[in-house]
Amino acid sequence: MTKHESAQPEIDDELTAYLDGELDAASVRRVEDRLARDPTYRGQLQKLERTWDLLDRLPRADVGEKFTKTTLEMVAVAAAKEAEEVNLALPKLKQRQRLAGVIAMVAALAVGYVIGRQAWPDPNEVLLRDLPVIENIDLFYQVEDVDFLRALDREHLFEDAEGDNAS
Amino acid sequence: MAVSESSAQRYQLQDPDVRLMLKVRDDDAAAFDELMLRYQNRLVTVLEHLVGRRDQAEDLAQEVFLRVYRARKRYVAGAKFSTWLYTIANHVAANALRSRSRRPEVNISARATESGGFGTLDKIAVAASGAMPTRQMDKAELRDVVREAMQGLSERQRMAVLLNKFEDMSYADIASAMELTPQAVKSLLSRARVNLKELLEPYFDDGTRPQ
Repeated sequence: MTKHESAQPEIDDELTAYLDGELDAASVRRVEDRLARDPTYRGQLQKLERTWDLLDRLPRADVGEKFTKTTLEMVAVAAAKEAEEVNLALPKLKQRQRLAGVIAMVAALAVGYVIGRQAWPDPNEVLLRDLPVIENIDLFYQVEDVDFLRALDREHLFEDAEGDNAS
Repeated sequence: MAVSESSAQRYQLQDPDVRLMLKVRDDDAAAFDELMLRYQNRLVTVLEHLVGRRDQAEDLAQEVFLRVYRARKRYVAGAKFSTWLYTIANHVAANALRSRSRRPEVNISARATESGGFGTLDKIAVAASGAMPTRQMDKAELRDVVREAMQGLSERQRMAVLLNKFEDMSYADIASAMELTPQAVKSLLSRARVNLKELLEPYFDDGTRPQ
């Protein structure tokens, strides 16, 4: 590859940017100086410019009313569909709001239940806890000494009585 | 895309089409009609030379306008309106060309020859080749030759050329529409100009049409 060939892409870039008005002032001066003294460089610019100008021969579209009408109809259909989707989405939104309300209500009820249980113990719970005593109350009345009752309990004698009661 | 308040205001002030699009965002149907009328011919022109077919170009242009409408609520004035529009057009055209390349290709040259299209012009060119440098070239023929040369460029080169030539867009705006760097656009346009020169020069020298 010759030095000239290896520099060609840079020259093409530079000349293209010059033709497109994309060079800064200093680069424009440099290109114009070289154009003035280098006929090969000038020839390259002219060839690029000539083929570029040929693009003006390409036809420009003129779509007419039919295209405009069809496109606007398509957009109108899209707009109607969009409005329908918004309408359909509304009940779903309401459903979600209701569900959120229900969840909040259930959560509030759960929290209230826990607080309520701590503040006001269930009277049945006391009865359940005292059930073994209640069931054996007749037996306990026959023994007046509490220490003696505890001694009997340590010997597991009440378990037989509970077993009998259960059966 | 994050857009600063000052640049949004600048585009709004400088570009009347940005102001129209902001009205479209607020569901102003008349503004949409106005934008469409301003851009429909320009957009179809670019798309026709990009995909090589008028009917497909019109379908794609309609798709672009539909996307503009559907995206209206998300629109922010982050660039010139034309840059935003051609960003959408670039995506739509790239998708279409991708799916077309996956489908079996119809032999356009053979079809055109059968209908007396390119084949006839080709014969005219070859027959007249001896007199090429001095003969008065037929306008229609020259137009077809340039069109064929355009189709000889890569898709990206073609898009960059069309935006630069027909839309007079700067490298920075083309870069934004094609999601490239301005430096990449510079190289793309440079290669495109050189390729066009190489494709068209033989026609002027000896009547050989672009392959």
